[in-house]
Amino acid sequence: MKRHRPLSPDAHAHLDGIGRAPESADERRILDQLNRALSHYRQNLQVPGPEVDDRVMAVVAAPQSTHRSLWRWFFAPVDVRVRPATAFVAGVALVLVLALVVPRVLPRGPGGTDLSSQSVLVQFELRAPAAQSVSLAGSFNGWSPASIPLTRTPESDRWRVTIPLRPGEHEYLFVIDREEWVADPHAHAQVDDGFGQSNSVIMVGPRGVARL
Amino acid sequence: MRRMAVVLGILLSVTAPMHGQELDVRAELMRRGAPPDFADRVAQLVTAAHREGLPHQDIANKALEGWAKRRHVPSERVLVALEGLMGAFRAGRDAARMAGISAPPMTVISSAGLALARGMTREQIADVIHAAPTPEQAAGGLAVASSLGAQGLEHAAAVRAVNDAFRDGSPPEHMLELPSVIANLIARGVPMSDVARSILEGRGVPGGPGVGIGPPGNGVGRPPGVPPGRGPPNLNDLPGKAKGQGKNSSA
Repeated sequence: MKRHRPLSPDAHAHLDGIGRAPESADERRILDQLNRALSHYRQNLQVPGPEVDDRVMAVVAAPQSTHRSLWRWFFAPVDVRVRPATAFVAGVALVLVLALVVPRVLPRGPGGTDLSSQSVLVQFELRAPAAQSVSLAGSFNGWSPASIPLTRTPESDRWRVTIPLRPGEHEYLFVIDREEWVADPHAHAQVDDGFGQSNSVIMVGPRGVARL
Repeated sequence: MRRMAVVLGILLSVTAPMHGQELDVRAELMRRGAPPDFADRVAQLVTAAHREGLPHQDIANKALEGWAKRRHVPSERVLVALEGLMGAFRAGRDAARMAGISAPPMTVISSAGLALARGMTREQIADVIHAAPTPEQAAGGLAVASSLGAQGLEHAAAVRAVNDAFRDGSPPEHMLELPSVIANLIARGVPMSDVARSILEGRGVPGGPGVGIGPPGNGVGRPPGVPPGRGPPNLNDLPGKAKGQGKNSSA
């Protein structure tokens, strides 16, 4: 490979337009070649005219609509730097949110049946002439013995209450005077409660319930 | 580092309710006056059921029931009943898997477990699951079938009635009316054996779903014949049945 000798400082100054021509004939020849090449380049260079500048500035200065800006922002690629550990934790959090929130949002009816139907009103009635108080406890109120009291009807010895229940199966009992647990003779069925006694059962349909 | 702390904070805030969900039953039992050791043992069972993928909320609800009946049910018996219920749910899960649901949802596990406890066979459970369009509808069908069985209808007829309803393509929620229909028939003096024979001979439930319930669109769950303010009634308020008949007194 042929190596050229570096140009002298006089030759560099002449190229920069601030000195006279170098004394060396070789350097003058090289400078002539460079000047010819530069002239040729300038002749073929297509410099955009001032109208191009005007067009570019018009586009830049034009106010863009908010929708279009948002649209561009939304689809414009963005470089995101995330630690793998952060991404892992965020992924776990997302899975937990889906696992915990979604089942709570979807209504779950009693009896293990998922139903989206709205509640229907169901009336419970018991004849208990000697009772001082009667309440209703069941799978629909966490078996709270006092949260749903029945009201004695003025014309008889019957106790009644009407509550909203979701369609599905419900187990329940009446509680008389906060002590005695009594089955509903009008229930659809009586089932083993697992404790050696029985619970009353009704299956509430979307249009209510008919009992014995 | 700050970003990691924020993410961890979100994670903790999300997982806290899950942890609390398992401890809810303990707190609720304590609030109702249960001794701490009993509440702890119940919470352990509920947590174990949760980890095992069993319907832990049903276990918690059964514990609350047992504690509510504490005058008649000793605590030890409650714990035994909870373990028995977990066993029933495991059997229900196995039955659902045998019927082809590899990962049965909680609703199916719960319904299948209770159906087994009420005397249905694994084959009958499989029949219902196969007839149901979806696992969720299978859960509803199993609940209805076991409820019909508890009413006294033989299980074969109960399963046939549910499966016929599936095959008819009727809305799944209408199936929930079958126990009311059966109750209505019994109150009118139709022998249960006749109901079963009608179903098993392919004639369906006499009258079909909706008999004695009234048309829809009559208020929120309010059958006809019930004035506003009284709410949906018992059978005596329904058309075709004289008031006062069939009422048994209690207490």
